[in-house]
Amino acid sequence: MRLSDWALWVFTIAFFIFMILPIAVVVVISFTSAGYASFPIPGWSLKWFARIFEYEPFMNSLWVSLKLGVIATAASCLLGVPAALYLSRSRSGWATAITAFMLSPLSMPMIVIGFASLFFLSRLGFGVSFLSLVIVHTVICLPYVIRTVTAVYRAIPPAYEEAAQILGASRLTVFREVTLPLIRPGIAAGSLFSFLTSFDNLPVSYFFGSAQTNTLPVVMLAYMEHQFDPSIAALSTLQLVFAVVALVVADRLYGIQKMTVAT
Amino acid sequence: MTLNRRKFLGTGAAAASLVGLNGLPLHAQGKTLNVTAYGGVWEQAVRDCFVAPFEAKTGAKATVSLGGPAQWLAQVEASPDNPPLDVLIMSPDLAVLAAEADLMDDFTVEKLPNLAYIPQEFTDACLGKGTYFDYGVGGITYNKDVVAEPPRSFADFVDRVAAGEFIASIPSIQYGPTTVFFLWALNNALGGDVDNTDPFFEAMAKMKDNLVYWAGPNDFFNHLASGEADLGIYFDGRTWNHVDEGVDWIDWINPEEGGAITSVAIQKPKNASDLAWDYLNEVLDADNQAKFAEILNYGVTNTQVEYSEKLAARVTPLSEANLPPYAEIARVRNDWVDRWNREIGM
Repeated sequence: MRLSDWALWVFTIAFFIFMILPIAVVVVISFTSAGYASFPIPGWSLKWFARIFEYEPFMNSLWVSLKLGVIATAASCLLGVPAALYLSRSRSGWATAITAFMLSPLSMPMIVIGFASLFFLSRLGFGVSFLSLVIVHTVICLPYVIRTVTAVYRAIPPAYEEAAQILGASRLTVFREVTLPLIRPGIAAGSLFSFLTSFDNLPVSYFFGSAQTNTLPVVMLAYMEHQFDPSIAALSTLQLVFAVVALVVADRLYGIQKMTVAT
Repeated sequence: MTLNRRKFLGTGAAAASLVGLNGLPLHAQGKTLNVTAYGGVWEQAVRDCFVAPFEAKTGAKATVSLGGPAQWLAQVEASPDNPPLDVLIMSPDLAVLAAEADLMDDFTVEKLPNLAYIPQEFTDACLGKGTYFDYGVGGITYNKDVVAEPPRSFADFVDRVAAGEFIASIPSIQYGPTTVFFLWALNNALGGDVDNTDPFFEAMAKMKDNLVYWAGPNDFFNHLASGEADLGIYFDGRTWNHVDEGVDWIDWINPEEGGAITSVAIQKPKNASDLAWDYLNEVLDADNQAKFAEILNYGVTNTQVEYSEKLAARVTPLSEANLPPYAEIARVRNDWVDRWNREIGM
């Protein structure tokens, strides 16, 4: 092995440790027996995991976050996939402008989107509600679906769909039998990013929080500001496990490699 | 497959039911009161000490929304005619802003009989549209294992940190109350006033090589626990909470000049349910406040409250602390933040 290869290998390992160490510390702290967060830990305990299930707002907000993530992701796919298919093949100058507009939530500060949406949706009568949360989360999730589906669809030669049409397939059959199977990795990648974006979002959800609509990140923030115990570390560990499981499932279903290409 | 009107409506109804009843906007009306609380032990204390007696006396229900004052004030500002919340927990500076914007109802003894036992200065500080019900004091928290002779005053704190005797953990400007419980308090102790913050910024320049900054209260504790800092500026109640959790190596001192009183205000938005007055009266009740103080280790404002022996030794008497002029500070706050960003940057 050449010296440069060795250097790259050492750098990669060092960078990996640099990235993983803070997360590892949080995971270890979640198993502490102490009543406060400290490292190294004085002893091992599962009591902070039990605390998560005892503290009702954690469980209520977890349910709200899961429900919201699923609905916002489904709505993003319903709106984003047709838009991405049309915009990918369009030769109109407007298509570029519309694509940029639909991706614009990515470049706006989330706190601005949240604050503005609160006033806008309140004027429309939606107010502080779960429906408002769904609408705003769909807006911030939409760019991920459009971006990934567009990237995959542009790489597919139009000849595939044209061949199916020449052989007599209707537009719906072409979509179902040819297009959809080919863009599936893009939809899967977009859905995964959408769900995780919605699930982790704080700045937008913050403005629509109430006793019925608080999401997990909002409750975690409220908890952390006035409680010093390591239950937030335990909750973070569970979220980490959840994210890893989601990635493994996605890998088994679609292959991470294909999804990475899609992005 | 064709999509006719019936299928379309059916799909719409299914989507609506998926969203569920929570999809409806929240409005502060009827026999359910929407009240607010910070998270964790705070929320539990609000439920036990205020919500439970309110529900027992009125037969109404109260839901508790967790979050923070900026979030709640924005929600009321967005729907002032039909506010989604009936009672707001507010920071003193936002309470002033909300009162100045005429978003809140006036507090009077006719509506709130227990207001008679709250010092008038606390209601005046909210411009008559709210009052304080709970308070802490910002002082010097130190690691007893490292600091044998802690500074007894803000002036001593500045001199000894500047001399390199200690590394101090102080709040950064990202933490909302910093301008009041640290900037104003230290400036006031060193001879400055609202219109002259030179003493504070000169002191910061002297100490700058021996300071670390905390962005949130948990950071402060981590600084002390990890040995990154020896002492710092922190609240009395939070220090005692750590002690009760088993941290036996920290202690707290109220500086000789007096720390700044950092209060929690309560307000009722205009057009919110009148049931809110019953709830607010429970919040100001002496017995309920005494119970609340016992849970949170913070002082409360009803003058009829008698603390337990343990808590009496911990709560800083109001007479030994200083009430910041929140309305005046609100006027110059942006200038202070601007100067902080230019000269300190953290």
